[in-house]
Amino acid sequence: MDKFRNKFIEEATDNIHDLEDALLLIENDPEDKELIERIFRAMHSLKGGGAMFGFDSLSEFTHHLETLYDLVREGKYKITKKLLDVTLASVDHMKALLANDDLDSADLRTIHTDLSLQIRKLIDKENEEKQQLIVDEPQTDKSKVKSYYIYFEPDIDIFSDGTNPLFLLDELHTIGECKVFAHFNKVPEIEKIDITKCYTYWEILIATNEDVNTISDVFIFVEDQCKLEINEVADFDITENDNIIDQVSKLTEERTDVGVSEIQSIIKKITLSEKRIEQIEETIKKKGPLPSVKENVISSIRVSSGKLDQLMNLVSELVTTQARLSLFAEQSGDSELAAIAENVQKLSRQLRDNAFDIVLVPIETMLTRFQRLVRDLSKELNKDVVFIAEGADTELDKTIIESLTDPLLHILRNSIDHGIESAEIRKKLGKPEQGKIILKAFYSGANVHIQIHDDGAGIDPEKIKDKAINKGIINKDTSLTKKEILDLVFLPGFSTAENVTGVSGRGVGMDVVKRKLIEVRGETELDSEINVGTTLTIKLPLTLSIIDGLLVKIAHNYYVMPLSVVNKINAVDHKNVVNKYNNLIVLDGEQIPFYYLREEFDLPEGEQEREQVIVVRYDDKEIGLVVDEVVGEYQAVLKSLGKMYKKQEIISGATILGDGTVALVMDTNKIISRFSQAKLNV
Amino acid sequence: MNNETITKINSYLSFNLGEEEFAVNVSKVLNILEMLKITEVPKAPEYMKGVINLRGTVLPVVDTRVKFGMTPTEYTSNTCIVVMEIEMDNDTVQVGTLVDSVQAVLELEDSQILPPPNIGTNFKSEFIYGMVKVDEKFIMLLDMEKVFSVDEISSVKEKIKKGEVKIEEKEKVIEKKKVKKSKK
Repeated sequence: MDKFRNKFIEEATDNIHDLEDALLLIENDPEDKELIERIFRAMHSLKGGGAMFGFDSLSEFTHHLETLYDLVREGKYKITKKLLDVTLASVDHMKALLANDDLDSADLRTIHTDLSLQIRKLIDKENEEKQQLIVDEPQTDKSKVKSYYIYFEPDIDIFSDGTNPLFLLDELHTIGECKVFAHFNKVPEIEKIDITKCYTYWEILIATNEDVNTISDVFIFVEDQCKLEINEVADFDITENDNIIDQVSKLTEERTDVGVSEIQSIIKKITLSEKRIEQIEETIKKKGPLPSVKENVISSIRVSSGKLDQLMNLVSELVTTQARLSLFAEQSGDSELAAIAENVQKLSRQLRDNAFDIVLVPIETMLTRFQRLVRDLSKELNKDVVFIAEGADTELDKTIIESLTDPLLHILRNSIDHGIESAEIRKKLGKPEQGKIILKAFYSGANVHIQIHDDGAGIDPEKIKDKAINKGIINKDTSLTKKEILDLVFLPGFSTAENVTGVSGRGVGMDVVKRKLIEVRGETELDSEINVGTTLTIKLPLTLSIIDGLLVKIAHNYYVMPLSVVNKINAVDHKNVVNKYNNLIVLDGEQIPFYYLREEFDLPEGEQEREQVIVVRYDDKEIGLVVDEVVGEYQAVLKSLGKMYKKQEIISGATILGDGTVALVMDTNKIISRFSQAKLNV
Repeated sequence: MNNETITKINSYLSFNLGEEEFAVNVSKVLNILEMLKITEVPKAPEYMKGVINLRGTVLPVVDTRVKFGMTPTEYTSNTCIVVMEIEMDNDTVQVGTLVDSVQAVLELEDSQILPPPNIGTNFKSEFIYGMVKVDEKFIMLLDMEKVFSVDEISSVKEKIKKGEVKIEEKEKVIEKKKVKKSKK
C-alpha cells in the first residue's frame, strides 16, 4: 500500500503543480475555458486519488474547491482576484496536506479551517446571487423560448377610463425579455396636444416561453380599445441577438412602423448569415487541431529519474567500450573489423546524443515557481513587479536544473526586495511604476547562460566598498575595479540591505548562491548600474557526463581538454617556451600568453625538441597551453574523481581510454585562472 | 558500515607500513590489487597518489605512508593496493590504499583486543581502536572511517610534524626518515 501511496504523492505533486500553473495563467485570461477545464481536472483527480489512498482531509478539502470551480465552469461564477488568492493559498495548503494529512500540527489545523471557511463563503455567496438571478429571469429554459412581434396602438381615448398603457408594457416585461420601440409620429404639435389623449403607439419584440394566449391576456381589458397584433416571428430568443435588435431599432427610427413581415425578413437574413459564420468556424475548428486536443494525446511518459541515470551510465559504458573496440580494430589492421568499429562508433554517438536529449530538461519546468514567487512577494512588499522569461525552452541537465532552483529563487527574492524600488520612488525617478524582472536563458558555445535582470535601484559600488572595509574584508587602500567590488557581495557574511526584512538581507545569501552554483560548475558574473538595474549572469556547462575532447599527453600521463574551447593547435620549438620571461608566444602574427603545463604541474622539463601549443578560449582572450604531444580527438566519458579529490578544481574528472589507462580531463578555465592568479601573487 | 557488522565479523587483514604492522576489519576490504599504473593528479596533496582504473571506474589511491607521516611508498614487488570501502559524509566511498605488503588474515576474538596504547592524544582514540599481540608483535587495529576523513588526517599529520603528537613508535620512524617537504 505504501508503494501506491508514494505513487499517488508523486502524481498528486504533479497535479498540484499543474493546478498552480493553470491558476497563474488564468489570472491573465480569466475567460479561457480550456484553463478552467484543466483546473477542474486537476482538482478532480486530486480529490479522487486522495480519497482512494486515505488522504481524507485532502480529499474533502479539494472537494469544496471543486464545488466552487464547478460553478466557475458553468459560467455562474467569475474568476476574480479574490477567488484566485484563496485558491492559490489552498494549493499551498494542499501541498502541506499531502505531506501531513492527519492535521496533527495546530498551525495546519488553523489554516485548514480558515481556508475551508473562506471557500464555503465564496460558494454561499454564489448561491445567493443565483437565487436573485432566478427572480429576475424567469425564463431559464431557453429551448422553449419563442419570439413574438406585438403591434400595440391604443385608441386615442384610452386614458379616459383610467388605463395606462405603460402598465401593460410593464406587465409584458414580467413574461419575458422585451424590446420596446415607441412611436411618437402621431403626436401633434405642442399647442394642439390634448393631454387627455394618447398619441403614442408601440412595437414590441418579446422573447418568452409562454404562449400567445398569455401575451394577449395582458391586453384582455383593452382588447376593444386598441389595435393589437401578436405574431410569432422566431423560435428562439431574438432579444439576445444584438444584430437583429440593432437593425430593428434602426428601422423604427426611420419609419413610422416596421410591421411583422419586415421583422421576419430581418431575422431570417441575420440568422442565415450567422449560421454561415458558425459553419465556417466549425470547419476551421475541425481542420485546425485545438491545443486541447493535443494535450489529451499521450505525448510523453513518466520515467523515474533513476532509470534515466541508469541509461546515461549504460551509454557511458558503451562509449568507453566502443573506444576499446576502435583501438583494437585499428591495431589489428583488419579492414572489415575497422568498418564494424566505425559503425559502432557512429551508432554510439547517435545514441549518446539521443540519451542526452532525454535527460535534458527545458528551463520552463522551474518557471512556475518563479512566477509564483514574484507574484506573492511583490504583493507582500507592496511593489508592482512583472516577471518575464525569455528562452524558456533552453535545455539543461535535469540535475543542474534541480540544483539551480534554490539559488535562482534567492536571486529573484533579492531583486524584488532590494532591486525594485517602490512605485513612488520609481515615479520620482521617471521610471515606469511597474518594475520588471527578466530571466533570459540562451546557449553560448558549450555553456548555457542564464541572466536575471531587474530594472531596479542597482548596486552602489561605493556602499559595498564601505561595507567591506567596515567588516574588515578589504583594506582601506585596496584599489579594486568595479567588477571586483561587485564580486565582494558573494563573500560570506555580506549583505548591503540596510533593513533586514523577512525576505532577505541576513547576509547568508549570495555566498550560498555562489557555492551552490559552483557545485554544478556554474560561474557567476554581476553587473550593475545605479538606478538602471542589476544583471546577474550564470554560466553553466552544457552537460556533465560526456564531452568531445582533445586527447593530449604530458610526460607519461594523458589529459583531455574540452574540444569546444580549443581554437587551434600549433607546433613550437622547445626553446621558445621554456624559461621565457614574459610567457608570450607569437602565433600567426599575434602575441598569445601561454602556460607551460609541465612546469605548472610540477613536472620535470621535457626533453623533446618540438612541443604543441593548444590555443584555447578564456573569456574573450586566447591563451596557449603547452603540452608534449597531441594524440587526437576523443569522446570522453566524464567520471568523477570522487570525494577525495573534491578540492581538485583544475581537473574536472577522469576518463578511461581504450587501453584502460586513465586520462584526466582538464578544466581549462580553472587552470588558467588559477595559474594566472598564482603568477600575480608572486 | 555500522558497528554491528564490525562486531560480527572477526576477521582482520593485516599489512605492513614500513616496520609497523596494522590491521583492518575485512568487512572494509573489497579487493587486494597488485601494483597498477597510477595516473597522478597534478596539484593534489602529496598523500593523494593518483587514480587507477578499477574495472571501468576511476578509483583514487592514497599513499598511506605519507598520510601517516612516513616517507612516500617505494614500489617493490610486494607493494599492493588494498581497495577499501569507507563511510565519508554519509556516503560510501571506495578508495585504494598503498601498503608495503599484505601479511595475513587473522581471526581475532573481541577478548584478544587490547585497549590502544596510552599515548595521551587524540590520535589513538581517533585512529586506532585497539591493539593485538600476535607472535610477540603488536598489531594496531585501524578505524578506517577516521583515517580517511581527510581533514582529520592532515591535522594529525601536521601535529606529528609539529611534534604535538607523541607516539613512541611513530616518532622513531619520523626521526629515522626525514619527512619530505612538499614541493614549492
